[in-house]
Amino acid sequence: MNVLTIHKLKWPSVLALGLASALALAESGTVIRNADLKEKPFLDATSTGKVAAGAQVNIVGRQGSWMQVQAGPSAGWIKLLNVRTGTAAASSSSGIGTLANVVTTGSSGTTVTTGVKGLSKEDIQTAVPNYKEVEKLSTFAVSEQDAAKSAKQVKLVAVEVADIALPTSSSSNSNSGGSGGNNVDDMRRRRP
Amino acid sequence: MIKHRIAQALLLCAPLLCVQPASALDFNNLLKQMNGSDNSSSNKSDAINAGINALKSAAEANRTIGPEEEKTIGDGLAANLLGGRPLVPNQPLQHYVNLVGRWVADQSELPKLDWRFGVTNDNDVNSFSTPGGAILITKGLLLKLRDEAELACILGHEITHTLKHHHTRAIQAAKGKDAFGQALQGVVAYKGGGAKQQLGANAIKGLAEVQVRGLDKKDEFEADVNGMVLCARAGYNPYALVGVLQTLDALNPQDGTVALMFATHPTPTERLTKIDEIVGDKLDSYSQGIEETARFDAIVGKMEKAAK
Repeated sequence: MNVLTIHKLKWPSVLALGLASALALAESGTVIRNADLKEKPFLDATSTGKVAAGAQVNIVGRQGSWMQVQAGPSAGWIKLLNVRTGTAAASSSSGIGTLANVVTTGSSGTTVTTGVKGLSKEDIQTAVPNYKEVEKLSTFAVSEQDAAKSAKQVKLVAVEVADIALPTSSSSNSNSGGSGGNNVDDMRRRRP
Repeated sequence: MIKHRIAQALLLCAPLLCVQPASALDFNNLLKQMNGSDNSSSNKSDAINAGINALKSAAEANRTIGPEEEKTIGDGLAANLLGGRPLVPNQPLQHYVNLVGRWVADQSELPKLDWRFGVTNDNDVNSFSTPGGAILITKGLLLKLRDEAELACILGHEITHTLKHHHTRAIQAAKGKDAFGQALQGVVAYKGGGAKQQLGANAIKGLAEVQVRGLDKKDEFEADVNGMVLCARAGYNPYALVGVLQTLDALNPQDGTVALMFATHPTPTERLTKIDEIVGDKLDSYSQGIEETARFDAIVGKMEKAAK
């Protein structure tokens, strides 16, 4: 299968790497709106094919706001936000998704309790406050200067980014069918 | 001049701060006790200065709850969470998470807050924020992350809850106006020990309810959107948050390790839909920001490999 897919793509080495990690993670997803598959993770890159809403894809990798996918015989890049990974969506249709779900979540539908049990509601209600641990937490704090120095070493550069306002008075219509508000309309327009 | 300003500040916010107007809330005494956990011999003028500072900052922020009070309450909540699951005993890891968290927080409107970040020894997938700047992420969530940008975006989400006073508001909304005064007394009583300790513990439990029930959905969406903005400001690819939410979305909701997180947050699908609607392509020009770093690989990547 590896060999077959590599022939279909123009960037064999990148794909080979991507496939290795994809196999390790066995991530899959469902496309939520019709989209072009791009040869590269850019809007103006050439299209290599199309994926339809509802199609199952294997996730090969992510870069920026893009996701590299394998959809049946086609492969390419689509926008990250065009794909959902929820088990509900994936298990509704058979095929690629099913195997991946078993791999990532174990036996689906049953409660999996592996290892040490995590913090639960009951724990929060019955815990004895531990101020010694808070003191310890405070000893780990770093200064603005130290954080900036370390950030510089990994080539992080602070940039100006405008705030994004939440749509006002969208109080009760949390079911996001995309029917209503002007903001939603505005956002819908951006994709073909 | 300075005196005049202090007097003005006192006048401005004295009525605001008296969240329990008719009660015997002794504000100066309270702050004195807050300064040192139980040493009643603490310097009187320090306590008064702390009181004045709290009043001044409350006046500046034009809110009913000042930063000092938020921190006292927030640290009470952090103490409770850490009482449930302590920090991972790994100094380089804790230091690393603080380097990332502080850098992200410093891109916000409140870089001077007492930001502290910690990884808890908990295999569940979750993260917590408290008023006043203590932010916790579980080891379980940390080990699911692909790169530093994902960590930065999660911390950006939690930082936003603190910046926007989401927990403070939720506590006030649930418990009424007097909640903070009572809670402050409770936390101080707890730290003081002795006969009143149980009362104090009860007050902390009352507050911790907000962590059991979760915040308003809208607050969660706001934390996602602004978390992405902070992440972008810090030089990271903001769409890394989408990657985290897709990881969470792929988890089986029946899995015990996500029980608390799923019970206290909108579903990852809902959150992705909101990001799709509100952010969409708006941050595309920052999507070439940093994703992977050598420091992440050296510390978290190594842990991930060891865990496999």
